[in-house]
Amino acid sequence: MKIILVSRSAKEVIKGGIELHDEATVSDLQEAIYARTKKFYPSRQRLTLPLQSGNQGKPVVLSPKKKLVEYCDGNAKTLTVVFKDLGVQVLYSTLFFWEYLGPLIIYPIFYYFPVYKYFGYEGERVIYPVQTYATCYWCLHYFKRIMETFFVHRFSHATSPLSNVFRNCAYYWTFGTYVAYHVNHPLYTPVSDLQMKIGFGFGLICQVSNFYCHLILRNLRSSDGNGGYQIPRGFLFNIVTCANYTTEIYQWLGFNIATQTIAGYVFLVVATLIMTNWALAKHRRLKKLFDGKDGRPRYPRRWVILPPFI
Amino acid sequence: MAGFLSTLRRIYLSLYNWTVFVGWFQVLYFAVKALREGGPTTVYDSVERPLQLAQTAAVMEILHGLVGLVRSPVSATLPQIGSRLFLTWGVLWSFPETRTHVLVSSLVISWSITEIIRYSFFGMKEALGFAPSWLLWLRYSTFLILYPTGITSEVGLIYIALPYIKASEKYCIRMPNKWNFSFDYFYASIVALAIYVPGSPHMYQYMLGQRKKALSKSKTA
Repeated sequence: MKIILVSRSAKEVIKGGIELHDEATVSDLQEAIYARTKKFYPSRQRLTLPLQSGNQGKPVVLSPKKKLVEYCDGNAKTLTVVFKDLGVQVLYSTLFFWEYLGPLIIYPIFYYFPVYKYFGYEGERVIYPVQTYATCYWCLHYFKRIMETFFVHRFSHATSPLSNVFRNCAYYWTFGTYVAYHVNHPLYTPVSDLQMKIGFGFGLICQVSNFYCHLILRNLRSSDGNGGYQIPRGFLFNIVTCANYTTEIYQWLGFNIATQTIAGYVFLVVATLIMTNWALAKHRRLKKLFDGKDGRPRYPRRWVILPPFI
Repeated sequence: MAGFLSTLRRIYLSLYNWTVFVGWFQVLYFAVKALREGGPTTVYDSVERPLQLAQTAAVMEILHGLVGLVRSPVSATLPQIGSRLFLTWGVLWSFPETRTHVLVSSLVISWSITEIIRYSFFGMKEALGFAPSWLLWLRYSTFLILYPTGITSEVGLIYIALPYIKASEKYCIRMPNKWNFSFDYFYASIVALAIYVPGSPHMYQYMLGQRKKALSKSKTA
């Protein structure tokens, strides 16, 4: 069969189109495009069916494992496919590694080295126990994140645009510096011993819960890496769609109860807003996918991310 | 009821836009008058009151966007208003040493011309239901010059103010305190300057895109 490949402005991307055998899959098409263009490796390609004129909805994205013939309505001999270049891609694991490495390295620098000298604070620094525990807690958190990236998570998309590396690193590294500067400051004022213990204790419980949530999510997906969405069940997922985000938010709350800095709370609020955005999208996607029709289960009534608010 | 509310909205927005228009018109008038009579060092004192009123009133526009009274996205208006308020109150009002600098003249003239065009454009649309095509053209073309002149003036004035900001310790919160909070206005101003680096091309590109949309739409209309 013949594939005509056009850009979104209807220009031909590959002159003359591509000839493939009738049983070819989308993945075969991606390989052929890469071979012909040399530049656009498969993870950079976004292939969709052309929108019917007047139809304002979202275009149908071609799924790599499906056969091309499944997308032809009547004429099984040619198919027009719309191509979009997603730009340079990096693996999600690469992206996560670099964004988490910053906080993991920057925070201890403020703890161990006499950096405050450069901010005008001369002389010896008194280090409180809470500051030591905070450094351990923080580094454990980001070490855990890196380990989960390589050994636990299964990603729905293998890659992310390169520009996200700069954007995400700016976010994590800047906030890491902002929090580290204040918790390790020579003029830091610690909270009571009891409050510190409650904070770290609660935070640790939430980190363990968060890890368990990640294990549950991992087991929803098969290891042949084709993403796909399932209804999460068990543990806190029975109550809240994005229990992984919920536990993440609460573990930062624990950290802040123990360390009590405005910087830490600002970080918590911003992270909460970002995760709430993600959670709303995920909840919506799951409700739409699991609509109870055609033998699909119906998505159960659940909180999105932060009961009793949302 | 719906018709009544929509009329009310139109009346309110017409009043709002034309009132602020008058404010900015005053700014331009007094600025040009001062330039001709006393020179650049006297411009600030002549425009201070209408400038502060007209610029601060723009905070209402964030509200308008949030409650859905207007379609402008909050994400586009917030950085714009933020930088304006920072210059008006955080630099010029707070640090009088900056007021006699020649960049104040270019700042105030760039801002006032842009706003006169913008508010009369919206004022007409709300009051009369349309705006003349020459005004549409002005609104989507003058930024090509006035954005660079305005941004240069803003960045320049912040830079001029830096030594005064550092020396005065104004708006700074120092540690130790119960919430382990610190704020250094000098470093915050440097961060503000840094934001202009990606922020200015971004805003300019946004306006270029808006221009393309607006001017092509009027051709086909």
